[in-house]
Amino acid sequence: MLLQLRRLRPLRTGVQQARPTSSCLFPDPSTTGSGSGLVLQSQSTDVFQNLALEDWIDAHVDLQRRAVLLLWRNRPAVVVGRHQNPWTECNLPAMRRAGVPLARRRSGGGTVYHDLGNLNLTFFASRKAYDRQRNLRVVTDALRRVRPELDVRATDRFDILLNGHYKISGTASRLSRKSSYHHCTLLHSADRAALSSLLRPSCPGIQSNATPSVPSPVANLTDHAPSLLWEELLEALAQQYNSEFGFEAAPRPVDPSDEALFPGVGSMEAALRSWEWTFGKTPKFRLDTRLELRDEQLGARCGAGLHVEVKNGLVESCRVDVPHHWLPPRLSGALGEVLLGERFCPHRAAAALTALLRCESGQPHRRLQNLGEVLLAGMG
Amino acid sequence: MAASGLLRSFSSNFSTAWPLLTRSALLLAPLRLSPKPYNGRTIASSSRLSAALKFTDKHEWVRVDDNGTGTVGISNFAQEALGDVVYCGLPEVGTQLAQQDEFGALESVKAASELYSPLTGEVVEVNTLLADNPGLVNKSCYKDGWLMKMTIANPAEVDALMDEAAYEKYIRSIED
Repeated sequence: MLLQLRRLRPLRTGVQQARPTSSCLFPDPSTTGSGSGLVLQSQSTDVFQNLALEDWIDAHVDLQRRAVLLLWRNRPAVVVGRHQNPWTECNLPAMRRAGVPLARRRSGGGTVYHDLGNLNLTFFASRKAYDRQRNLRVVTDALRRVRPELDVRATDRFDILLNGHYKISGTASRLSRKSSYHHCTLLHSADRAALSSLLRPSCPGIQSNATPSVPSPVANLTDHAPSLLWEELLEALAQQYNSEFGFEAAPRPVDPSDEALFPGVGSMEAALRSWEWTFGKTPKFRLDTRLELRDEQLGARCGAGLHVEVKNGLVESCRVDVPHHWLPPRLSGALGEVLLGERFCPHRAAAALTALLRCESGQPHRRLQNLGEVLLAGMG
Repeated sequence: MAASGLLRSFSSNFSTAWPLLTRSALLLAPLRLSPKPYNGRTIASSSRLSAALKFTDKHEWVRVDDNGTGTVGISNFAQEALGDVVYCGLPEVGTQLAQQDEFGALESVKAASELYSPLTGEVVEVNTLLADNPGLVNKSCYKDGWLMKMTIANPAEVDALMDEAAYEKYIRSIED
């Protein structure tokens, strides 16, 4: 099938209207005669590009008359659900050190670790046709076809368990005006050590009403079926999708950054990458924790309290309770004040702290610096 | 070969991209509403009549309060379809909304579902009880589970929404 584009001619006023253009990628189902299903395989391993492609398909493809299965995978990334708190769900400092980005998806659900050994499947359908158990049947039936000895079953939480115990797939979904998408992970050969080390809280002491994850022991398919190849898995899934829904769609490679094919996808990607989305959409939360302060020069210690309220990812209030003998209240007060309105982020806090430190020397400087360091560590 | 692509209108913030809802058979006379609040005059009346609910085809309801603001929530049909709500993502007070704009999302065991503004106006209050008790949306969708209150920039938009009878009819027609 050719991927042609019909470009709109500019209006006479010379202003080009930014209307979405049509594409032969999604032809009129009545003309194809082969059922109205489509299987796409993303050629990108960038989590933001792939999430943007999902958004684009959800917004632009008429799902009343067709369904789409998108197969994709990402280079290492942590993906939190729409209403989650990344500071409680994942180890942000460890991710920074390892160069693993954080993404927030638009669907609900919990936090997952993605890497090239994890396959993502997105089932797009109309709202009426939304049926997660049926979609998961596609996965379990496909697995049983290629490896009949595998004990795989979907639970009523829409997880898929291997041997009744290990989670190999988790599910999340989004309902829009008329459309729906249901996506799930599938652990083929992911790095489980990385998964468990990164899916830990960044800092203790956070209270929030963000949606929590439900941690589960996981396994890879290849732990129990070592000969199962990636390509074999993809082929089986595409085939089973067709078989379950009566389609005849061959998987087609797509480039999610192709602006000609998916007009506007670039700005969707930019929105997903933005701090305002990934961190700023965190539901309001409080951090109450104890800080252990030290003065190395004098070999002294002291305990302090940190109380922060964060809204939209920004510090709304910040109180540092330090005993007066340790540090003058004007300094601990100033530290609390200088963080107000800043992003709840160690980089910003460090910058604010540096500015304060410039005005101090000797013992206050030393202790303020230590307080700052401990505070930054407590912010994840 | 007809090679036309199939595209839904792109959901955008521009209200001109969406036709306003039109109801061909309004059963009630249109309400005439003043969007301005009263200015300090005491009203010597008895308990106010409960205002009628109007509904959108996205299963949201609007109730116009005495002071001309609209209280917004989701209908019983919607809360049943959603399942147990576990999180309510609501807008900031002061947010300007055009009719059909996405103003938030409800996350339930079923999915994350967008909320669409039934009217054009400004958010003046959000239901803070939902932060710790999102289940109110299921338990009391017309009362304690209200989502937000907004000004009504264009009273004609309220007139054009479905009344309860029309909404019941609408639900029956889509339930088949």
